[in-house]
Amino acid sequence: MKLLLVEDEPALRSTLVEALRQGGYVVEVAADFTQAYEKIKLYRYDCVLLDLTLPDGNGLDLLRALKADNSPAGVLVISARNGLDDRVAGLDLGADDYLVKPFHISELNARLRAIIRRRRFQGSNHLIFRDLTVWPDQAEVQVRGEALTLTRKEYDLLLYLLANPGRVLTKEAIAEHLCGDSVDAADSFDFIYTHLKNLRKKLQEKGAENYIRTMYGVGYKLSSE
Amino acid sequence: MKLLAATNRYYLLLSAGLFVLGSGVLYVGIERAVRDEMSEQLHNNQLELEERVAAGRPLPEPVYRQQYSVSGQPRPLGFSDTLLLDPTEGSMVPHRQLTFRALGPGQPPVWVTLRKSMVETDELLAATVGSMLVVLALLLAGIVGLHRYLSGRLWAPFQHTLATLRGYDLQQHQPLALPGSKIEEFAELNQALTQFSRRLVADYESLREFTANAAHETQTPLAIMQAQLEQLLQLPALATDAAAAPLLADLYGATRRLSRLHQALGLLSRIENGQFHAAVPLDLAALVREKAAQLAPLLDARDLTPHLHLAAAPPRQLHPGLADSLLHNLLHNAIRHNVPGGDVTVHLTAHALEVSNPGPVVSGDPARFFERFRKHNAASESPGLGLSIVQQICAYYGFGLSYTFAPAGARHTLRVAFGPGPGGAAVGRA
Repeated sequence: MKLLLVEDEPALRSTLVEALRQGGYVVEVAADFTQAYEKIKLYRYDCVLLDLTLPDGNGLDLLRALKADNSPAGVLVISARNGLDDRVAGLDLGADDYLVKPFHISELNARLRAIIRRRRFQGSNHLIFRDLTVWPDQAEVQVRGEALTLTRKEYDLLLYLLANPGRVLTKEAIAEHLCGDSVDAADSFDFIYTHLKNLRKKLQEKGAENYIRTMYGVGYKLSSE
Repeated sequence: MKLLAATNRYYLLLSAGLFVLGSGVLYVGIERAVRDEMSEQLHNNQLELEERVAAGRPLPEPVYRQQYSVSGQPRPLGFSDTLLLDPTEGSMVPHRQLTFRALGPGQPPVWVTLRKSMVETDELLAATVGSMLVVLALLLAGIVGLHRYLSGRLWAPFQHTLATLRGYDLQQHQPLALPGSKIEEFAELNQALTQFSRRLVADYESLREFTANAAHETQTPLAIMQAQLEQLLQLPALATDAAAAPLLADLYGATRRLSRLHQALGLLSRIENGQFHAAVPLDLAALVREKAAQLAPLLDARDLTPHLHLAAAPPRQLHPGLADSLLHNLLHNAIRHNVPGGDVTVHLTAHALEVSNPGPVVSGDPARFFERFRKHNAASESPGLGLSIVQQICAYYGFGLSYTFAPAGARHTLRVAFGPGPGGAAVGRA
């Protein structure tokens, strides 16, 4: 899975590259418009992570260039511009999704997964993790071939965990993912605990034990062993 | 007291003083003139009579005894004043009299007294005071009339300035546009006020820009901090020290809060800048349902029941981002200040949106709930910007916003009246 990260801020760029590589992606970087333009013209990527505010140009023009070339690459726009107009413009131009800075890396992973899944219709449209098999298109989950019935939020939570295997997910990131960016720090995050407890119980009933680990005071982690 | 009324009071005092003084001067002046005139006439008559006697003709017989009498007995000579009874009028009348000795050739001397009646004192006084009163009345009527005219005309620029100041709204980002005036004082006043407002607008602008820039520019460092902290949390080394991970997690949470705070401030300043022109027809009922579903986990966590009474209403022209923020903040506010097991009730009609919830009594002035960084509980982690954002959005679209508290059932209600509502202005501009 090959990604192009277009981001002018060096510190953010290196951190994101590290996180994405940990997630198993092959990542190339472009620090400005010119570099990014060269790379999208020369190479093929599965997904482009695109910062809109670049020192020598507008990220939206890169998006236009990609679309003009009929590039199969998915595009995830990342921008500090919180303006809804930018978001609309980006999505109108054919971006697959939009993420506002600052964001949770775990959220980035989840969005990236969703984009790549949507773009690859052929073949393996299911996820396998240990004894779990998930068909996201049908929203179906099986444990060792046995169907698992989950509520909407539990399913969202599981998919979120599956997009970040082995990563520590903070309470904030999970809460915002489940409530669509509408919770803030003043809210109690108790509701995550309830959903996680129920999800764990259902997994346990089907014999999938110790999938979700609690990281005390931090959050949760989907454990691969 | 109006300035003109105050001025009039001094005019009146001055006029009364002048009236007393003027009456006195007039009285004395007229009396003296009459007396001089009488003396002159008496003197002329004396000369005429002396000529006649010198020519040897006899003195005329006295016709009016009061005015002309002759006596063989010596009398004091010269002018004098006397009071004589006027038999017809029955009152004492002042007279001027002149006595002289007439000596004809070969005759014994005789003493002649001539008298002329002067104006009666009370009549003179009445005439003086009367005419002065007429003058005074005319003067006062003139002053009042003049002032009425002046207040209507000369003070018009001042009234205009006052009205402009009253209606001035700093958020329009426009300095006062006061016209010049032919009256120097008003021209100076207008100039000073215009300068003042320009400075005010400039200060306000720079503050607003600062907020907007600060909110925007901090997002990048915050993004770096957040991403790197999240990466730090992944380090296996953290597992060896139980205290380190929660510390990092708190740091992560604080970074997130800071970034939300900046986003809220950025939103506020963008609304103030009027950067939300794009409006699309929105079905608010659908939006309320969507928001309620999104907040369902929060409602569940506090055991709150949502009651949505959404009447079918024509779509409203709103900016989607602002509509979302408005509903989000109203619902979130109702959730946050609720009681466990309570409810969040939304009434949507074609005219208004009402969000109500039970909650503890809140002390303080309701108008201040809409202030920035206003928190019910000082220890709360919420920055207290939610209702400010609601207020700004309502002001932006000209919606009326009002808050009511019903002690029965302890319900708090926030009402957004589409189109300025009756209760709206009270809080809307607080």
